[in-house]
Amino acid sequence: MTVADFAFYAFAVTTLVGGLFTVLARNPVHSVLWLIMAFIGSAGLFVVLGAEFLAMLLMIVYVGAVAVLFLFVVMMLDVDFAELKAGMAKYMPLALLIAVVLLMQMGMIYGTWQFADGAEAARRAVTPDMTEVENTAALGQLIYDDYFLLFQLSGLVLLVAMIGAIVLTLRHRKDIKRQDVLAQMYRDPAKALELVDVKPGQGL
Amino acid sequence: MATDLQTILPELILAVYAMLALVGAVYTGKDNLTGPITWLTAGLMAVLALWIGTGSAGSTQAFGGMFLSDAYARFAKVAILIAGAAVLLSGQEAVARRGLGRFEYPLLIALATVGMMMMVSAGDLMSLYLGLELQSLALYVVAAMNRDSVKSTEAGMKYFVLGALSSGLLLYGASLTYGYAGTTLFSGIIGAATGGEISLGLLIGLVFVSAGLAFKISAVPFHMWTPDVYEGAPTPVTAFFATAPKLAAMGLFARVLFDAFGGAVGDWQQIISLMAILSMALGAVAAIGQTNIKRLMAYSSISHMGFALMGLSAGTALGVQAMLVYMAIYLTMNVGTFAFIMSMERDGKPVTEIASLNQFAKGEPLKALAMLVLLFSLAGVPPMVGFFGKLYVLQAAVDAGLTWLAIGGVIASVISAFYYLRIVYFMYFGQTEGQAQAPMSPAAWVALMGSAAIMVLGVVNLFGIETAAAQAAQALVN
Amino acid sequence: MVGLEHYLGLAGALFVIGIFGLFLNRKNVIILLMSIELMLLSVNINLVAFSSYLGDMVGQVFTLFVLTVAAAEAAIGLAILVSFFRNRGTIAVEDVNVMKG
Repeated sequence: MTVADFAFYAFAVTTLVGGLFTVLARNPVHSVLWLIMAFIGSAGLFVVLGAEFLAMLLMIVYVGAVAVLFLFVVMMLDVDFAELKAGMAKYMPLALLIAVVLLMQMGMIYGTWQFADGAEAARRAVTPDMTEVENTAALGQLIYDDYFLLFQLSGLVLLVAMIGAIVLTLRHRKDIKRQDVLAQMYRDPAKALELVDVKPGQGL
Repeated sequence: MATDLQTILPELILAVYAMLALVGAVYTGKDNLTGPITWLTAGLMAVLALWIGTGSAGSTQAFGGMFLSDAYARFAKVAILIAGAAVLLSGQEAVARRGLGRFEYPLLIALATVGMMMMVSAGDLMSLYLGLELQSLALYVVAAMNRDSVKSTEAGMKYFVLGALSSGLLLYGASLTYGYAGTTLFSGIIGAATGGEISLGLLIGLVFVSAGLAFKISAVPFHMWTPDVYEGAPTPVTAFFATAPKLAAMGLFARVLFDAFGGAVGDWQQIISLMAILSMALGAVAAIGQTNIKRLMAYSSISHMGFALMGLSAGTALGVQAMLVYMAIYLTMNVGTFAFIMSMERDGKPVTEIASLNQFAKGEPLKALAMLVLLFSLAGVPPMVGFFGKLYVLQAAVDAGLTWLAIGGVIASVISAFYYLRIVYFMYFGQTEGQAQAPMSPAAWVALMGSAAIMVLGVVNLFGIETAAAQAAQALVN
Repeated sequence: MVGLEHYLGLAGALFVIGIFGLFLNRKNVIILLMSIELMLLSVNINLVAFSSYLGDMVGQVFTLFVLTVAAAEAAIGLAILVSFFRNRGTIAVEDVNVMKG
């Protein structure tokens, strides 16, 4: 077994165990932590497959931001999770049945994977030699050029997500004092300050 | 690049407009600007529809085949834009009355429309996915827009979870398809998916993609979100859900089936015809017991999607033409019907119970007459236009040798006529007085009367959409 | 180097775990969202594996967009969840009897 093989099996086991316990854990905080483990495992798999940029992205965006967002929400909502988990046993047989059936089907397909005859010829962006163009640069050349339209569209998707999050959750509270920067800057010292000549011994 | 940008100019204009209006509204009047922005958005959408409709003929590609502009895409885009503009205008007053008049609403609709225009023009699995998600994400938000209402947020929640699941299924199918064909371009996939025997991996990919798209058009067995979301979402939002996104998803479905899997008609014909018959049957039977008119319209739309899928399952140009004509008629009917449902109220509060319409015709005979025409048309009673829509798809199915499907359609249509006519019966011969009123803004009145008039006057020549639909179908199936 | 089938099998298993989680945790929306993340992760493994074995960068580009959209989706899902929780005081979808369904 080569190092690459060993790395594959190690990361694959990490990913699968992480995924499985994400859905099985009793405490949602643990679920999030298991999810992070699954992300780390698949980031390792991406490195093995030669997609370093995506591996970094998975670590930074998913482990760093998305998983933390999940943690944030879990801790923000005061939910009695023990009660929610009570129904789990009820759905277990059905869920297991569906999982087993699906898994068997998948196993049938992946016995050997066949590419289409023309698959090699149909490729649109053949991976360049790693020693000449690095993975990140190769990806950049594609998304800022051939896939420019999609890049912009994904920007629109993120804009919609931002609008949505603001629309749904931002509440403008009226009972607190706010800083008004412009009002502060345009304040005229002449009107705000008054110089009073205090005579000794008299006070104001 | 310049010609590429020119091809996507309508989408570009709408997206840039949405962003500019967003910035403008945030820095100036905020929610006071909702009215003007709604009118501006609807006006821009109508202008774009006119421009696309009268624009250049022929097929062009942009961005290396990822974006297709052909007669088919143009037909769908014109219908989407007009339906979107009509729903925005006729619902404006209802939105304000429900306290939802936030300036983000019309802009989210505009961004969703950009997504829908991308969907029907998609020539690549990636542009398909991004267009679909742009649309879906905006719609999840508007479904939950009434954030202080339990029903609305719950509708948003259910819509989101099931919609995200369907995106996951679609994506898994897309990944297998890419893995088999070696490309994400439809023009490349169709090369790999021909030649009689289709590989098992690609078949599974096709099944997953179809399942994901069936969710979006709410075809049985992926329909379960529809009644809850229709009932829970604010009525003007429901009106939007029932119109433009349905056509966009159906248009995308046809695009994938013919452009990417056009060589494997035999493989998907069974799946689609099965979904068609199940949708028609379930939509007809489950609607009978409904007391809420929005839930009833949900089942009605499931049934109508079954009919549209029947046209698709024929697998011929005639079938696609029938599907397009059917969808155009469906959109027109729903715009009118929802203009009425949005304005239903009792003692100043919105109501959606069917029973509240008892003896409605005594108070407002003209509106009741318009509803009668629309409901007859929805049921497919001759001589309304809805009847000709159904005739079209039935003919396409029979021509393709799917006689059993056509017979099933006729039976489902007869069953579903019962619940449409029941509403008419309540309006004219109800026992007790339901006390519902329907005060309408001028825009909603125009939408209701206009669509009712089209259902009657369109009998003459369907306003020429047959030829446009035929050209569109020719562009897709060749 | 391990075969492509290993990666596809792994992704398939992860996808099934995601669906399994959806059915198992029908009440707990947060876990539902995580299950959906797992499904999308399995799609990404599929795409990168195909990309690597085909020698085609498009799979990685696709993955990049899937990651972007999935992050946006998580943000919206959690936003809807928060406003739902504010109204109901619970996140159990099945408990809700406001609508029959």
